[in-house]
Formats: sequence, C-alpha cells, structure tokens
Amino acid sequence: QNTTVTGKVRDIAGALPGVSVVEKGFPTNGAISDVNGRFSLTLKGQSNIIILRFIGYVNQEVKVSDNKTLDIILQTSTNGLDEVAVVAYGTRKRITSTGAVSSISGSDIRTVPTANVQNTLTGKLPGFFSQQASGQPGKDASDFYIRGVSSLNPAGNQPLIIVDDIEYSYDQLQQINVNEIESISILKDASSTAIYGIKGANGVLVVATRRGKSGAPKFNVRVETGIQQPTKTPKFLDSYNSALLINEARANDGLQPSFTQADLDHFKNNDDPYGHPNVNWYDKIFEKQSYQANANLDIAGGTNALKYFISGGALNQNGLVRDFADPQSLVNTNYYFRRYNFRSNLDLRVNKTLDLRLDVTTRFSDLNQPYNQNAVGEVYNFTKQTPFTSPYLNPNGSYSYAYSSFNPDHLPTLNARLATGGYQHSRRTDFNFLFGGTQKLDALTDGLSLTGRIAYSSIEQYTKQIFNEGIPSYHYDPVTNQYSLRPGGTYVYQNYGLTGNTDMNSNNYNLQLYLNYDRTFGSTHHFSGLMLFNQTANTLYAANLLSGDLVGVPQKFRGFSGRVGYDYKQKYLIDFNVAYNGTDRFAADHRFGIFPAVSVGYNLVKEDFFTKALPIFSLFKLRASYGLVGSDAAPGNRYVYNQVYNQGGGYSFGQSQQGYGTIYEGALGNPNVVWERARKLDIGLDMNLFNDKISVTFDYFHDIRYKQLIKPGSVPLILGVDLPAVNIGKTRNQGFDGQISYHGNIGKFQYNTGLVFSYAKNKILFKDEAAPVYTRLAETGRPIGQQFGYHFLGYYTAADIAAIATYKANSVDGTNKGNPIALPDDGSPVQPGDLRYEDRNGDGVINAFDKGPIGNPNLPNTTLGLSLQGVYKGFSISVLLQGSFNYSFAVVGTGIEPFQSQFQPIHQERWTPETAATANFPRLGFNSTSINSPTAYFSDYWLVNAYYIRLKTIDIGYQLPNKLLPFKISNARVYMSAYNLFTWDNYNKYQQDPEISTNTAGDAYINQRVINLGIQLGF
Amino acid sequence: CKKYEQTPVDKVDITHIFDPRDSAGVNAQKYLYGVYSVLRNGHNRVGGDYLDAAGDDAISSASGPSNIATILSTASYNSYTIPSDENLFGTYYAGIRQANEFINNIEVVPVLAKYNGYSMKYVWKSEARFLRAMFYFELIKRYGGVPLMGNHVYTISDDISLPRNSFDDCVKYIVSECDAIKDSLLVYPISDPNADSHRPTKGSAMALKARVLLYAASPLFNGGNIDAANNLTGYTNFDATRWAAAAAAAKDVIDLGTYSLLPNFKEVFLTQNNPEILFMRQGGNNTNVETSNGPVGFTAATGKGQTSPTQELVNAFPMANGLPIGDAASGYDSNNPYNNRDPRLTYSIMYNGAQWLNTQIQTFEGGQSKPNGSLQQTKTGYYMRKFMGNFENTNAYSSHSTDWLIMRYADLVLGYAEALNESEGPTTEVYNALISIRKRAGIEAGAGNLYGLTAGMTKEQMRTVIQNERRVELAFEESRYWDIRRWKLAETTMNQQRTGVSIAKVGSTLNYNPINVLTTKFDAPKMYLYPIPYDEVQKNPNMKQNPGW
Repeated sequence: QNTTVTGKVRDIAGALPGVSVVEKGFPTNGAISDVNGRFSLTLKGQSNIIILRFIGYVNQEVKVSDNKTLDIILQTSTNGLDEVAVVAYGTRKRITSTGAVSSISGSDIRTVPTANVQNTLTGKLPGFFSQQASGQPGKDASDFYIRGVSSLNPAGNQPLIIVDDIEYSYDQLQQINVNEIESISILKDASSTAIYGIKGANGVLVVATRRGKSGAPKFNVRVETGIQQPTKTPKFLDSYNSALLINEARANDGLQPSFTQADLDHFKNNDDPYGHPNVNWYDKIFEKQSYQANANLDIAGGTNALKYFISGGALNQNGLVRDFADPQSLVNTNYYFRRYNFRSNLDLRVNKTLDLRLDVTTRFSDLNQPYNQNAVGEVYNFTKQTPFTSPYLNPNGSYSYAYSSFNPDHLPTLNARLATGGYQHSRRTDFNFLFGGTQKLDALTDGLSLTGRIAYSSIEQYTKQIFNEGIPSYHYDPVTNQYSLRPGGTYVYQNYGLTGNTDMNSNNYNLQLYLNYDRTFGSTHHFSGLMLFNQTANTLYAANLLSGDLVGVPQKFRGFSGRVGYDYKQKYLIDFNVAYNGTDRFAADHRFGIFPAVSVGYNLVKEDFFTKALPIFSLFKLRASYGLVGSDAAPGNRYVYNQVYNQGGGYSFGQSQQGYGTIYEGALGNPNVVWERARKLDIGLDMNLFNDKISVTFDYFHDIRYKQLIKPGSVPLILGVDLPAVNIGKTRNQGFDGQISYHGNIGKFQYNTGLVFSYAKNKILFKDEAAPVYTRLAETGRPIGQQFGYHFLGYYTAADIAAIATYKANSVDGTNKGNPIALPDDGSPVQPGDLRYEDRNGDGVINAFDKGPIGNPNLPNTTLGLSLQGVYKGFSISVLLQGSFNYSFAVVGTGIEPFQSQFQPIHQERWTPETAATANFPRLGFNSTSINSPTAYFSDYWLVNAYYIRLKTIDIGYQLPNKLLPFKISNARVYMSAYNLFTWDNYNKYQQDPEISTNTAGDAYINQRVINLGIQLGF
Repeated sequence: CKKYEQTPVDKVDITHIFDPRDSAGVNAQKYLYGVYSVLRNGHNRVGGDYLDAAGDDAISSASGPSNIATILSTASYNSYTIPSDENLFGTYYAGIRQANEFINNIEVVPVLAKYNGYSMKYVWKSEARFLRAMFYFELIKRYGGVPLMGNHVYTISDDISLPRNSFDDCVKYIVSECDAIKDSLLVYPISDPNADSHRPTKGSAMALKARVLLYAASPLFNGGNIDAANNLTGYTNFDATRWAAAAAAAKDVIDLGTYSLLPNFKEVFLTQNNPEILFMRQGGNNTNVETSNGPVGFTAATGKGQTSPTQELVNAFPMANGLPIGDAASGYDSNNPYNNRDPRLTYSIMYNGAQWLNTQIQTFEGGQSKPNGSLQQTKTGYYMRKFMGNFENTNAYSSHSTDWLIMRYADLVLGYAEALNESEGPTTEVYNALISIRKRAGIEAGAGNLYGLTAGMTKEQMRTVIQNERRVELAFEESRYWDIRRWKLAETTMNQQRTGVSIAKVGSTLNYNPINVLTTKFDAPKMYLYPIPYDEVQKNPNMKQNPGW
C-alpha cells in the first residue's frame, strides 16, 4: 500500500508555490507545490521521508508520520549551493560563482518598517556600510557605500545602482517600494563589477523586482500601521536651572547677573507664568510619537504564455510636530511624507523562442515641511528658544513673541510660526518603463540567445511654498495687564505669499543589446558567454541641486562588455570579463577605457581526495579575482577636458548704474583627462559544513584606486585661474568581510542565526597637497575624511593661570612665547575651567599649527550584524542586532554650545571650582568663540570616538491556522515589527542619534524608532 | 543624423569671446567687465567691516576674536591663517590673468566703434592694462615685490614656479604701464557718463602713477626697508629723488586742470561723476552703508552699528578754527567736546547729540543708540557717518549712490603736499595744497588766511600736520591703514589702547569718561608687510617668504 502524502509548504511570510517535493531515494518521484503551497505525492519506497527544495530556502527532510497532512515551514537561506544571485545581465549560482557577491531576498527585508530600501540592508550584507543622518519623513534614506570609500572625490564613492539591469540614481532607489523587490545583491570585486566598467569602482547594488509565476492569480495584501518616536528625546533645563547657569556664566565673565533672586524664586515656584515663563518648548512643539501606515496589494500569476506581477502600495509617514491648527489659517505645516507606488511586470511568451517583457512603474510622492522653519533645529537654539523666552500663549489666547533679551530677533513663538507660517511642499513623480525581448538562437547554436531592451525613466519634482511672515504677536505684561505688539509686527494676519518652482526634471534613456551563451558539453565542460552593448543618455534640469553646467545637456555613456566563463565539472572555474566604456566627460581621444578582470575558483569538494579527508564539507571553494574598474566622476566642470567661460552679472557700470553681464574664465580644461581606475584584488572562501548547517563566506580585498580625478593642490595661485581635475590621486582600501550562518532545530523549533561582518580601512597614498607646516597636518597617509583638531590635556587650573602670569612677567617681550602652558593665539583670556589644549609646536600659543589628526573619519570602518530567526509552529521571530564601530563625530553650535544651545543636562556637569575633578563640560561663559567652543577650536574633547549597537529590527509573527481562515483566504499572518527599537552607544555628551554626521549643529531630525503592527493576507 | 547640444551651449569658449566676426565686441566687452569686477568695493569689505576698523581709526562693533578686523588689528594671524577678505593674493592674480587674456586676444575683434580715430578696442585694451596695474599696486602695498607675469597667460602644463620680482621692478612696471596707456584712455569729463563713468581715464592712470610713486618714496620702502638688503621688501637704499618724482607725478594730474575739489565735502561720496573722482568702483544705488553702519535704536531705519570710530580719530579732528584740540587757543571744551569742531567731524562721525533721522543721536549709556545688552551697537560711543546719504532730517533711509572711491583728487593733493614737503620742505605750495583741502572742509580762514595752520613750520612739523590732515580727510577710505604702515608709524600707534567714550547722563548733565575698548597689537617689523600665503611658498620653491613670517 503506497502512502499518499499531502501537505502545505510555506515560509514565515506565507504559502510557497513552486517548491519541489521529492521522495528520498526516488529522485524521479516528485511534485511541485501549487499556488497555495499545497502538494500531494504518492510514496513508492519505505523510507517515508520527503525532501523539500526551493531556491533561496534551506532544503528540508520531513519524516512522514501518520498524520499525513503536513504543514511544513521552509526557512530562507542565503547560503544554499544552488542559491541564485542576480548579477550583471544574468544569474549566478553560489557553487559556480567566482566573484564577491552578497545577496538577500526580498522576503527578508519586506517587514522592516522603513520607507527606504537602503535602510533595510544595514547589517545584513557583508561589505555594506551605511549611515542614516536624518529621520525626517521622506528624507531619511541612508548614505551607503560598498566596502567603505576609496575615492578622494566625494561624488566618486557612490555605488552604481542597477534595478532590473537599468541604472538608477540614489534618490530613485529610495523611492522603490520594498514590496516589489525579489532580491538585492551587492557586487564587490572586479570580476563581478567589471562588466559595468563605469562606476564599477565603487561596487554595484543590483535589485531584481518580483515577477509573475504560472498559476492561478495569487493575491497578497499587507497592511501595517505603527508609531514613530525619536531614538533620543532631547531634554532641556527648565527656567530656574537655566537662569542659575546664566548667572554663573555672567559671573565667570565678570558681569552682573541677568536674573535677580526674585526672578529665580519666580522661576523656581512657577508662580508667574507670564512674567517669568517656564516653558518646555520641546514638549510643547513635538508629539511623543507620530503615526505611520503602509499598505500593499500585489497580484501574481499567469499562464505559460503570460505571467504578471502587479503591485500597488501606499505609505504615509507623519512628522513629529504637534497639530497647531489655527482657525485663522488652516494649512498643514507639519512634516509628512506620502508615497504611492505602482508596478506592473509582464512576461509574454510569444512563441517557443521569443520572450517579451514589459515593466511599468510609477511612484508619486508628497513631502511636506514647515516653510523656512527648522522646528527641530530651532528648539535647540538658545538665541531663539529658552524656557523663559515667552509664554506658550498669552492669557487672552493671542500669540506671544520672544521678548527675552537673549532672543534678539524677537520672533513670534515657534508654535505661532508653525501654525500660520506656511509650508513647503514637494511633489514628485517618477516613471519607469522597460520593454525588452529575448530571442533564443538555439537554431544557430544551442544555448545562444539575444536580448534587447529599451528603458526610459523620468522624474519631475515641483515645490510649492506658501508663507506668511506677518504674524500678530504680543507681549503681555502681568503687572500692568497690558499687551504690547511685537516691534515691527502687524496687528492683523497678512495674506499668504505663494511661490513655486520646478526643482527637477530629468529623463534618462537606456538601450541594451546582448548575446548570451550558456552550454554544457558532455556534462563536463560548461561554457558561458556574454556580449553586451549598452548606451545611456541622461538629461537633468535641476534647480539649486547641481552646478549650472550640468543642467539640461544630456550626459552620455556608451559601453561594450564581454564575459567568457568556463568550468570543468564545476570544479575548476574561470571567468574573464572585459568592458570597453566611453563617457562624454572626456576628450574624444581619451573617452574610452578598457576594464578587464579575471577570476578563478576551485571547488575542492569536487575532488575525491578532499571529500574523503574532510567529509564534513559540502562546499569548500577557493576563489580569487583581480581586475580593473573605472569611474568618471570628477569635481568641477562636467566636461573636464574643456575650458568654458562662464557668464556672470551683478556688476553695474556707469552713472546710470546699469547692470551688465560679465564673462569670466572658468577652470582650465584638462585635455589629457582619462578614467579614474581601481585595481581590485579579492580572495574569497566559501564553505558549507555539516549538511549545510553551517555556512561561511569570507573575502579579503585589497584595492588600489589611482589616477583619481582631483583638483591639484600644489599649483601656485599666481596661475590666476581655477584648476581642472587631473588624474593624480591615489588611495588604498583594504579589509575583509563575510558571513557565518548556522541553521538547526530544537524539536519543532527551527532557527537560523548569522553573523555578518565588514571591515574596510582606507589610506590616502597621494593627494597633491601643498606640504603643510607640520607633517601631522598632511592628509596624505591618513584615511579619507580624517578629522583634524586640537588635543585636550585638561582644564586650566588656577595654578596654570598664575604660572602664565608669572611667565609673561618674566619674559623678555611680555608674551607667553615658549611657555609650555599655552594660550589661545587670538588673545582671548583664559580662566580656570577652560579647555587646555596641547601646544604641539611648543610656541606658547594655540593656533592652527597645533592641530593634528584626531579620532576617526565619520564613516564607520567596521560594521557587524547578528541575526536570529526562529520558527515554531505558527510563530516566527526574527531579530537583527547591528553595530557600527570605529568612527567619530562631534556636535557643534546649537547642539551643544552654551548660549547657542538651550541649556541641557550636560551643562550642569560644567566645570566649577568645586566640581573640577568630575566636570564633563568646560566653564560656562558668554564668548561664543572662546577656546571652549567646538566651532572655533575643534578638538578631541568634543569628538566622540563612537560605536553603537542597535536592536535594528525585530519581527514577531503568527501564522493563523488555515482551518480558522474564512472565505478563500489561504494564508494569514499577523505580525509586529520594529525598527531601531533599542540603541546602546558610548557617549552622553550629545542628545543626538549616533548616526549623525560629524560637525552637525543640533538641527538634524533625529532618527526614528518605529513600532508597527501588521497583517498579511493571501488568497 | 544631426547632433544637438554636444556641449553646453550657454557656455562659450574663448573664440566666442574674442570673435573675429563681432564688430560690436559684445562678448569681449563682457569679458572686460569681468576684469572690472575684480576691483574690491571697500564698503564693509573686510568681514563686514571697513578695513580701517583694523587700524587705529575704528574698531568693529562685532564681538569675538573671529572678527576679521579684530584679527588684523590684534596681530592674530600668520601666513597660514591670514583672514580671507585680506587674503587677496589669488584674487588679484586671477584679475591679472584675466586682464592678460583680454590684452592678448582683443586684437582679433574688429570693433567698429571709434575713439580719437582709432578702434574702441584700443581704449578697452588700455583699460585692461590700467586694471592690471591697479591689481599689481594692490599686491605690492601688501606684499612688497611680487612675480610680474608680463602679458603671459600660463597654462597648467607650464612651469609657474616664478620668483618674486624686486619691489623696484614692480614699481617701474606699474609706472611704465601708466605712462604707456594714459593717452589712449578716455579723458575726463567723459562724454557719456551715464554709460562710462566707471571707466579709468587719463587722469586715473596718472593718479595711479602718483600714488605708486608716493608709496615707493615712503619710509617703509625708501630708507626704512624692514630687511635692509632685501630688494623684495623695498629699496635697498634711500633716495630723496623718489619723493620728487612722486611730487612731480601728482603735479602732472593737478596741471591737467580737469579735476577739482567739490565744494561740499559730503557730496563727494554721493554725487556721481563729480570732478573730484579720479577712479572708483561702482557700488550701486542702495542703503547698504546705512543698514550696516547706521546707529541702532531706530525702527523705521535699521542700522547695525558695525563701525565704532575711536576716540583717537575723533581727537584728530581740529576745531572749526583749524587749531588742534590740544592747542590752548583752540577753544576746545572737554564738557562740550563736539562743539565748534572741523565740520568734517560731523560729516564723518556720529557722536552724542548729532542730528540724525530727525533726532539727536543718544550714545550716552542707556540711550536710544547705546541701549547696552546683547545687541550689536557702538563700542566706543561713536558711529560712522561718512558715505551716508543726507538723512539728518528724514525718518527713513532711501537709496543713494554708494560708489567706492578708489582715488580722489583730495587724496592726490595731500599726496602732492606730502611728497613736496619731503623733497623741498614746507614751501608755499605745500601750504596752499593743505589750505585748499581745509578751506573746502569748512574750516575758518582765520588770521592770515592760514586756515589754522601755523606759519613757518619746519619740515617735520609740516609732516605731522599733513599726516593728520590725511587721517581726517580720508577716514574710512582704506587710506590710514596703509599710511601708518608706509610711514612706519604702526609699530607705535597700533601697540596702544584703542579708546572710546562712555557718557553718563545725570539729569541733563553729560559726563564724558574715556574707556579702553581694545588693545591693538602690531608685530614690528614683520607685520609691515603681509606674509605671502603659506601654501604659495610651499608650492613654489622660488617664492620667498617675507621676513619674520
């Protein structure tokens, strides 16, 4: 009696169609799961074991017990031998790949509750470095780099982004809805990127979108909603404590106190809310949390002739500012971001040899923010907001204005301006279209096909601003019970002003034609090949975004690429790539560059001696690649070879003072400019052990980036003209990255854990800088982005001050020259409790010559991700801990400096004679450019050598049992997901997110923690 | 197929600028205007302040050591940190390069317009040469001898490790350029001032020559070279004939007879194309001077009070009878210190009680224009008045011409007096030159029509009088800052306290108390010349740094 097994296969996200189910020992006895994940198989043997296989998932063996209806959960895997990564114009299996490629499937990132694709990748891909500098809705996309940075050109470090084989820009990427993504790969070494030639030097991020599969239409609905909160909520001191510190600072500067004892008592007792206000502006302006929602619907299915994937999505993220709706002016000035996505991917099989595809995508987005008010920055800004600035509202309900003498602008209160000041609203439409076809040419020779594609994309963005600067506001005097109008203010509301403009209007077309060849001879010799022609033209009109010479003229690029691959029984692998690319940025005879790469692989598990000696390995592959890749990004004039003369104006002549146009010489042309190049070496190891339970990937890389396009720094000014970029910079970037993962089970609890690690360290080998006074001030020999500043020795003590006075009195010229206890060169006096810096050149004064390298660059050079996923019956949990290490940042200006920033708890830890031993902040004083200011004296006192570890994402879900599901619903899952849930960092000086850019004042919209609840339904 | 827009069509290359088909020379002229725009407009030029706020005549009201004027006046810079607005080495070399490009290429443009029978392009070419000479003068007064580029336009592949030319070479070059071009420039009065009042004239070139020779004859370069044997920092010997040459060059301008002193001192800066202007940089019609430097405390006419003139400058103004305030016969009353003073005081400085905006300015402590507190306001008790429109009896400011006078006739006359006094002693002609200035200023003629001058002064006494006259006549005009250097007075005057006045109002009585406002500093001798920017010396092995830096 043969047993018939029926069951359902799914992953944590729902039913899995297309899974191959095979009886163990009978490889030909198999079935495929249907669109609802159901399968049925009649067993022939006695083992009663079935094996389930699906690309991108861990193979699973299931013992068939009496309960013949099985519920099987497959786990995603990024380490399967047959796992297929989408790479340059094709796909690659892990077993035969010789390049350094890391991939992740869309289902792994779909539940991360963030609007941006790049934010979902943090900590998940070896070699991926990112930094999210803002949490503002719609502007919260991370900057990311593959294997760190290596170009001295800021523009030269952006990875190439390829979506369905078409180049996307950074900001186009962030508009993509994660729900549409099938997989993401990053290509890191020369062999995998050489085919792109252009920009391949920075690595390539390849996105493949989802496509339809044969079967009945499968609907998938995902709706989630949640809250956003800042990862850190800044705290400011109240009026009483601020006033105490202000009086202390004035006393330190030898001035009379600003507040009398009576003032202090009022502040302390809070008994005079109008005469002595005490307002926590942060609480008054910002909500504790804001709302976000995201909904997606997709339909996939098809027949052999036509397959489709159609998806729509809507995202709404609100900002943190409270609703100040004013009956006088009902406009929404809050921060918010809304995005609507649509995608239709169609595959049409015309006949046995011709396939066509048509992909259409549009994205509409709305981004709103208050007009000309950075609410986030202003709430930090002491000159605009102090707790005693003014009351929140006057007793008669009218708005107040900042009448404190510390607020010289006397602006109406922030709530008044947010309520009625107007908004800035940007609307953006992205449109992408791709039409392509593949003709099989087996008639000519087996395994040959020809593909052609034409792609078009466009972006249009408009901004509308309405603004009102005449807001009636009054100072209420509780003693006289009088209201006085703001100086220069108006008694009535002014009409709104309106401006608008087109910010961006870009279109891009891309033509590709390629021949693909893939054939195995006699199951031993496998050949593959590719010949590609690729051409793009990109026209961009951008207001205030890019330098004028980029506007409106198409940027053109043309490339021919080829690839030849060969493997012998999947044992010896070799791959040649070459690209011949041209760009219109360079002169006609230097336009094209050749970028070759070679890679080899050796699959030791295919050797009998190896498997006999080390049977625990199911994969052991060594690989290496070496090659040349290029970049055409250069600072300055886009046509580097060409000298252009710029038109200017604004100079008036003659008695009539008529404005005349001027023409002036632009930067010199460099006719010899050629491609910036990188020589990249990558040595990698892939291992799977213990029945694929453990999988290890490790890559070492060593890149030399040379002929970098930078402006020479060693040409004297007497040349009299700006210089073009020349091919002289040279840097080195080396490091390692990889991933170790393990999957197993404890009873019915299946789990899978992985560690992703990345380390990249760069060094400037040549920068053509004028030799600095002291070699320590040179950038050459240091990492890109090295920060320079003073070295903190301690606080000046009273003894130091006395010693300085003695030294001056005894010195020949009455100065401090040569005193080991140095003074600032600008002559500003120092007092005990001021920051004392190292006088590195020993001249008795602290000036720019005493700076040196401090801390690390702002971009972390190490990043780690530790993930854990578990499934037990219907429950699933997925956790990602992510950490970044070895980077430095400092906050300046309104973020920290007394009398620029509102007083913060850190200021209470200032130096005073009593707290000299435990002080965490220098003596308070009024002078904003004293030695205590991080803006004027940037130093390692202010720079934090930071690291952080985040509970980056967590996703907990429950799959409802099928029998409970009504109607035709085949799959239902409820889940809770969170983003940036907890953060551990190593500083308490700054109330800012650890990913903030260095030297930022307190005006960054703090990154958000998101907690979401969602439901996913399939039918 | 036809190719469109292969390169940006709004950008042009040099063949479009100097176009053999352009008979109007439109683009060439625009290019020349680009050279003009290299000229600096001195109003609030240096970090928002007048350059003279870095000298002994004023201080900046802006606080803090990052204020550029304060950095300059307290010796807080070195070759590495010289503040941007006075770090003009690259700016002027860019101007020189642009002028050279114009000079080298203008020949091909067939400009049809004619002047004196020749194509207008030769006038333009001379203008470019004039501007180039002006840029060199701006360089040598800051740095001493600098590399002379001739007409050469270097490219990136050339070796531009040029050495500095001697100070003597530079002066000779500027003088020879002025001599060569003076007859091909327009002449004053210009026939179409509406279009051309900004252009250098024959008188401009001659005045530039006189000014260069005056500087070259001055002690800093002539006999007082800070590095005696170094021909980059000045002459290696003293030669009295240099003073004679300077006097002669100034006399040549006077003898043209086309320039004169405007009767009304205030109007010199407000009236366009007046006969006192030798060369100027257009400033436009606006209220910038008032909004930046006007007194605080007026709502309808906002001022930021950027410039705080010092008590030293106020004291330099004589009485209306021409006698210095220290003279017992002058009639100076320290309880009414602003009464009966040289009218130029009222035209140059706002003091307590001065008429402005329909009120009498209050700069006593707590007064309308000196409220104290954190608002930027005068630090010395004075505001600058010079260059402003006539707003004594209006409620608000209105736009007026704010041209920056680079050279004016009064300056030339005083230079003539100075050079003549040095070469021939205090002759009648020296007296007459001074009298002409003082008479126009409104000083009373007094006994013997000497306008307060003492008869029979020695050369040294006369020198002091001339120096003081320059100070009060040319206050805030970027003259004093350089004068105290070329006279080598800066080591004395800049190593002193800057003072102001604190006026206490008790009832209706005003008590005037001197206050110290800033300790200025000057590192002699090295600071008599600026350091060559540090990078330049590093990049160019032949570029010698100035002594002491």
